[in-house]
Formats: sequence, structure tokens, C-alpha cells
Amino acid sequence: MRPLELTRVYHFSAAHKLENPALSGDANAALYGACARDHGHNYYLEVTVAGTPHPQTGMAFDLGRLDAVVREEILDRVDHHALHTVPALAGVITTGESLARAFWEQLVTKLPPRALARVTVVETAKNRFEYRGEPS
Amino acid sequence: MSGIGYSTRRFAFSAGHRYWVDAWSAEENERVFGRLVIPHGHNYTVDVTIRGAIDPTTGMVIDLGELKRLVGEVVVERFDHADLNADPLFRGRVPTTENIALVIWDIIAAKLGRERLWQVRVWEDPTLYVDYRGEGAEADGLRGEGGESPSPSFRGRT
Repeated sequence: MRPLELTRVYHFSAAHKLENPALSGDANAALYGACARDHGHNYYLEVTVAGTPHPQTGMAFDLGRLDAVVREEILDRVDHHALHTVPALAGVITTGESLARAFWEQLVTKLPPRALARVTVVETAKNRFEYRGEPS
Repeated sequence: MSGIGYSTRRFAFSAGHRYWVDAWSAEENERVFGRLVIPHGHNYTVDVTIRGAIDPTTGMVIDLGELKRLVGEVVVERFDHADLNADPLFRGRVPTTENIALVIWDIIAAKLGRERLWQVRVWEDPTLYVDYRGEGAEADGLRGEGGESPSPSFRGRT
């Protein structure tokens, strides 16, 4: 057995703003600065699955299935949407960290047990957020 | 000052491949692999990561020039503008991105030692990469294991 990890890179564009609804407008502006204003990003979403290559075909995971799950659970819901209005992200402050965790939660029940290894949200070329399902 | 560091150098090669199991008929190969049986190619990118103590004299984990020379000789020169299916290292192994990562790991680990080689990342294109960190490398698990489990579908592959 030689376990390895496959990572697929997806893309979506979306609007968002950082806002904690429990705080006032002024408090949000003070906390999040420019990020409290409506703006958007060209996001990249990396989904990593763990597997072992099949001895004959050399394939460790069904990428078509992964693509379909990611498209249905995430991309179709967020691409060209405002993230803070997406029902599937209700209650999520749409920071990169929280998006990665939310996407993990959406994917983990739709993929085979123990397959999902990492979800990475790349917000800009300078900001990258990884979540591995570890409890805090 | 001591401490462990991780140094990564990026390499690139362009190679041809197809998904094909010699033991199978053409019909069986086409049923399992679809259009991937047609010879095609990719611009592969390989990120090689070395783990080790930061040398107090040089301040380096490894001389990346040395790594560039070594991987250039044993990986890039071997696979650049080559037909992967024709390479003896892929005899009996479909040159999937997964198997390419395992093969490149084995080549570099044999030269540098597996205790220094931390990770091999192979990008088939900008949307797909495989990471291998040497788990199970002692026992050649590529053959004779797990033959009863169904193979994943080829869908989504290029």
C-alpha cells in the first residue's frame, strides 16, 4: 500500500464582505476594515482526497465523482453569487478560514469515509487558507 | 542554531502517455479508460521537497543547485519529450499522475535517501496534482495488492 493524496484545483468568482451580524456597523468597520465593504475575489478552491493507486489501473480516486460533488455542493452555489447571501453559508462569516471549514463540512458527508484530506481556499495570490477537519 | 527545514525546487518536463494495460484487450482498455487510451501528452511540473537539518555552516537544508543537477539528470532528462509508456519504469504500470509521483519518488529516494526526501508533488496540469511522501515505499505495493477492489472510473481525467 502506497497511500498518496490527489488535489483538484477549482475556480469560482464571488462577492463577499466580512460582517459579524452580532456587531454594529461601526464595530464591523473597525474590526474588518476594508473587508467590511462589498467586494469580491477570484477564488481558487483546492480539494484534496487520500487514496492508494489501484494495482492495475494506477488510479486512486474517481475524479469525475469528485468534480460532480464539488460542482453540486459548492461551485454551483457560490460562483457569481454574493457569499454572505448564499443559503448554504448561512451563519458563516465568509473569511477564507471559515469558508474552508464550511466547504469541508459540505463535502465530507458526500465523499467516501476518510477520503477527504484537506480543503484549501485561495482568496488572492497572497492569502491561502487550509482546513483538515481537525477539532480545536 | 539548529532546526529542521523544508526546501522545495520546481522542475518541468513535457511527456506523452496513455492509459493502457498490456494484459487487456483493446476493447477492455477502451471500456475502462475511454478516450485516455489515445496517446496524448502533458506539461508536467514536479515540486521536490527535501527535509533536513539547517546546516550551521551553510545555512542550507540542501544545496538546491545540487538538487537541480541530480533531479535534472535522473528525472527531467529521462522523461522530457519521452513516451512514458515506453519507459521500463512504467512496464506494468499505467502512467497515471499517481504512478508518476511514485516512480519519481523512487528514483530520487534511491539517489538522495528516503530520509531526506520529504515529498514529491506532480502536477499533470494546473488543475490536478498528486502528493506522495513515501508511505509504504519499502514494500512495492504497485503490484499484487488490492486486485479485488474495483478501480475508480477514468471520468474527470485528462
